[in-house]
Amino acid sequence: MQPIDKIIFGDNQFFGINHMSQEKAQQLAEQFFDIAAIFRVYQMAFDSGIRAIMLNSNDRASEICSHFVANKSKYPDLNWYPSIPYPHKYANLISEKGIIPTINEILFKDNSAFGILGMITKGGAAVLGKDAVKLMQMLVDVEMKMFKGLNVKVVFLQNIITDLLLGYGVGDIFGEYCDYIRKKYNAMPGLITQNMPYLMQKLHEWNIDKVVICSSFNKIGYLMSPDTDSYIFEARKNDPLKYQIMAMSTLASGAIPAKEAYEFINQQNIQSVVFGASSKKHIEETVSLIKIK
Amino acid sequence: MADFKIKLAIIGVGRMGITHYSIINSHPYVKITSVADTSSLILNLMKKYLNGIHTYDDYNKLLDQEVLDAIIICTPPSLHYQVAIKAAEKGIHVFSEKPFTTDNYKARELAAIFEHKKLVNQVGYVNRFNDIFRTVKNYIEKGVIGNVIRFKSEMYSRTITKTEEGKTWRDSRENGGGAVFEVASHAIDLVNFLIGKPDKVTGTSLTSIYSKNVEDAVNSTFLYKNGISGTLNVNWSDESFRKPTNKIEVFGSQGKILADQHGIKIYMKNNSSENNLREGWNTIYITDIFKPVPFYVRGNEFTAQLYHFAECIKNNTIKNNCTFRDATNTLDVIDAIFNDFELNGKF
Ligand SMILES: NC(=O)c1ccc[n+]([C@@H]2O[C@H](COP(=O)([O-])OP(=O)(O)OC[C@H]3O[C@@H](n4cnc5c(N)ncnc54)[C@H](O)[C@@H]3O)[C@@H](O)[C@H]2O)c1
Repeated sequence: MQPIDKIIFGDNQFFGINHMSQEKAQQLAEQFFDIAAIFRVYQMAFDSGIRAIMLNSNDRASEICSHFVANKSKYPDLNWYPSIPYPHKYANLISEKGIIPTINEILFKDNSAFGILGMITKGGAAVLGKDAVKLMQMLVDVEMKMFKGLNVKVVFLQNIITDLLLGYGVGDIFGEYCDYIRKKYNAMPGLITQNMPYLMQKLHEWNIDKVVICSSFNKIGYLMSPDTDSYIFEARKNDPLKYQIMAMSTLASGAIPAKEAYEFINQQNIQSVVFGASSKKHIEETVSLIKIK
Repeated sequence: MADFKIKLAIIGVGRMGITHYSIINSHPYVKITSVADTSSLILNLMKKYLNGIHTYDDYNKLLDQEVLDAIIICTPPSLHYQVAIKAAEKGIHVFSEKPFTTDNYKARELAAIFEHKKLVNQVGYVNRFNDIFRTVKNYIEKGVIGNVIRFKSEMYSRTITKTEEGKTWRDSRENGGGAVFEVASHAIDLVNFLIGKPDKVTGTSLTSIYSKNVEDAVNSTFLYKNGISGTLNVNWSDESFRKPTNKIEVFGSQGKILADQHGIKIYMKNNSSENNLREGWNTIYITDIFKPVPFYVRGNEFTAQLYHFAECIKNNTIKNNCTFRDATNTLDVIDAIFNDFELNGKF
């Protein structure tokens, strides 16, 4: 398994996502309304040596991707870590229309995208519905379109999907996802989860390895089920040649001061940290604090 | 007791049913044996990928043929009653999604039957399991802000943001659609949970923004015989909210509480060292008070509510936190809102 980047720059700060405060989220959304402000922050990240970006396939991400494709020569070589899908797009459509019409709309709205399959517009999803694997592959392709032309290293499945499927215990689907990402995108499969210990146990059981696992990892156990100790234990016994662990929410949405947070993180057997920040000071401070082995 | 497993079925496997399946399937004492839905697509998928699960296109057949301890009902709301009543006949514990019938008389009937038969009955008002709102309740009960005088309960989401063609159950009040049943019910239940059931509902407005047949927004005023009053303000067509958001503001004789799913701000007239609150503003974040859950899919409260249901089945001395009786009270308020609007809200 190819080693992943030790420090990866995340994207929540750009899209008005803050788990702790609505106000803070709104303020960030305003600050990054102008996309140039986003590129300025990316530049700060590159200036402090970061060469890896994690980006969720939301509406604004495609604009970010096109910019980096069009301006490749202006930037250093970058590794991309997309996470798919953008869950709210689906959640909103589903509540408006229902599940099947949503899948139809997403897969078949733009007929040209799928050539011959695009021709089965109405009822297309119903046909595919008998074959969850094919359906999954087509949805992955829709989400991955915007990352074309970028150097994609890992493709992550969002935790809402990973954990939902984990609850069902459907190992086959995980296996198929991982195979598809390797074959079609020549990238490593990644799974974001808020149940890291349980997911790891299941992956062992299903004989699925060479996967990157991304999960919240912080001292206070925020967004970590069942608890911090289980995470520490699971990470400690992990073989990084089989699974690489990437920590997110290291500051627990700001509840833990950076220094204290990374003192804890640096002691864990993990391979990577993804963090988000929107000022030069915070970016540089974080980069200097991360000292994982 | 160790190898006793609660045998459970899920009726209606749409958005909510899909989530509940995943969560309760992780419970060590629960075994999901079967599902019912009218969509052949979902049934085919489940049959194909979930080993040994029995699938039914008619919940009646499921209830007749399966040996069950419990069901989770996630059909459109207008079907909740008939599924629940049949389950009661068979002595099956029921978790029903809200609003659990669209008629408060039928709701009362169900509550009485389940109480009489001593069957566990719970409704999916998930805010009652949110760590923030539980903390707010605890503060109010302990009198941290003194006597409650006024309050606001608000809820916003971007559920319907385009002209609605009127094709789904969400666009029909008879079927349990509309912003009052679907969204405001949560905000009303939160009032019942935190403050108590209002004695009078007045000043209701129901506004359609995108929907053809139902309201998208509701305002109303709640009055209490003891002098408390409060307002309800709900809009399910508000795009400025990324996720459904409940907000609550409670003004009391000794201070004020502002809360949403993310955190609590409390203004205190005086110091309260026993509650760790100082005079003036205090902030409590979800990170300060959350209780971890064994398995997370979509918010701690969703796991907490279903695990509570399982706990109540295993141990019949535990008092359920969101019973059919509680949800009947919420439906009474909903009924009063519709009546008030019919009588006073139109020109
Ligand atoms: N607590 C919450 O936060 C929350 C959120 C969303 C929905 N809900 C509630 O959950 C319930 C379902 O909502 P949803 O969004 O999942 O709706 P949905 O339309 O996605 O799902 C309803 C499912 O019921 C099935 N169904 C319809 N008729 C049936 C029948 N006769 N027998 C069996 N299955 C049948 C449909 O095929 C569909 O799969 C509603 O009561 C809603 O209010 C609660």
